[in-house]
Amino acid sequence: MTRTQFGEGACDKTRRYLDAYICNELLVETNHEVLRHLEACPACTAEVATRTRLRGRLKSAVQSLAVPPELPALVKERIRSRQSSAWRFLPSLPTVSPASQRWAMAAAAALVLSAGTWMTYPRPLAMPGVGDRPSQANYIQKISASVAGIFKSALSDHIHCAVFRKYPVNPPAIEEMEAKLGPEYQGLLPVVEPVIPPGYRIVLAHQCTYGGRQFIHLTMRKGSEVISLVVARKENGETLAGLTPAEDSHGVPVYRTSTDQYQIAGFESERYLAFVVSSQSGSKNLQLAAALAPNVRRLLS
Amino acid sequence: MLFANKPRTQEFEAAALPHLNDLYRMAARLLGDAARADDVVQDVYYQAWKSFDRFEPGTNCRAWLFKILFHTLNHYRRKWLNVRMVRESEEILENTSAAGPPIPQHITDEDMLRALAEVPQDFRAVVLLVDVEEFSYKETAGILTVPVGTVMSRLSRGRRLLREKLLGVAHSYGIGRTQEGRSA
Repeated sequence: MTRTQFGEGACDKTRRYLDAYICNELLVETNHEVLRHLEACPACTAEVATRTRLRGRLKSAVQSLAVPPELPALVKERIRSRQSSAWRFLPSLPTVSPASQRWAMAAAAALVLSAGTWMTYPRPLAMPGVGDRPSQANYIQKISASVAGIFKSALSDHIHCAVFRKYPVNPPAIEEMEAKLGPEYQGLLPVVEPVIPPGYRIVLAHQCTYGGRQFIHLTMRKGSEVISLVVARKENGETLAGLTPAEDSHGVPVYRTSTDQYQIAGFESERYLAFVVSSQSGSKNLQLAAALAPNVRRLLS
Repeated sequence: MLFANKPRTQEFEAAALPHLNDLYRMAARLLGDAARADDVVQDVYYQAWKSFDRFEPGTNCRAWLFKILFHTLNHYRRKWLNVRMVRESEEILENTSAAGPPIPQHITDEDMLRALAEVPQDFRAVVLLVDVEEFSYKETAGILTVPVGTVMSRLSRGRRLLREKLLGVAHSYGIGRTQEGRSA
């Protein structure tokens, strides 16, 4: 990490520093030199883009692994059971024999532990009933707490509108869905139709509101599995541009995040944010968003 | 007295549990086995809880947990796996002046993870710590107890290996040959 001048063989020199450059580990002066070179060198700029893209794809692939929901409880149990075993070394009680003390301690520890377990373990979030709005709001708030703000509203609307819903046996007619979308957005239906994953069909297309925000919402369903395309007008300068894209779909950067249960992949046009939200695998969800991105963005532009 | 250390446990859980997902994913990627990752992460938290008195509040709890994770992984690797360690000759700083191999356009998460699994463990660990967990070189060196120069060379070599393996994975599907031909 020393200061380096770039002159002849500048590409070679620059590329030796690219690993540190994309990690933001260069000294300020060296960083400026690299930036100056990149401004004038398309080949090195392309190499930076490739390395940055690889980094983003790697990160999203690793983060697509779902963590077992029971793991936090197992960790707590392990700690607390060891904690309880340490109680054997507490000072002896004067009127009870050592053997009885141990039994009493063990029984007390088991009692306290089981009570503590019952009271404090994070049980898996129970899915509220379709009509239980207050519990649903609580569930949505907890589930969406772990994702970045820009993804929150789409995830919330997906759960609120697509997950907590009783679907009729037969989906509404296409004309009815077009009417609910309105003339501005009914063009989404023919754009989505060709890329729907096998076995799914569109069962809902409308405009809805959640948390004071308006959404254009298309839902695809296969059995109990649902996928949402959630579109919202940008508010207060919202943009995904500061994040690392997971995919580039014909020039449209696609971004992704996830919770333990849901995958979210999004892209943007000048005025809209669009997200695909589902419980599919991270790669399938991203693939669908990438397949939708160019045409949906064109339509929203 | 019975509950004397309970507040400390709560403090530990509040500080350490938010990093559980990152630790689990790192363990799973390094072991290539989710069930073993489960065991390792539980062990890491137990070890961390036991030595929480030595942890200084306000310092980097996440880096501290990762350091314990790597200690634990080394223990398990000796126990479970016959892992080839990196030889000194492999530590020589890579010449990264050449552009790496091209990356196929359409790669899935599965392709990426398959390629990553083929990168030798010590290089993979550094790539994961720097590129996925976004630790600095200095933090990574502290976690792995190696010099910063070793982190730099392993990162460079690891990233390059990942690109090569990724290209290999794509080729196994018949993807990317034309693209590579064009760029050659």
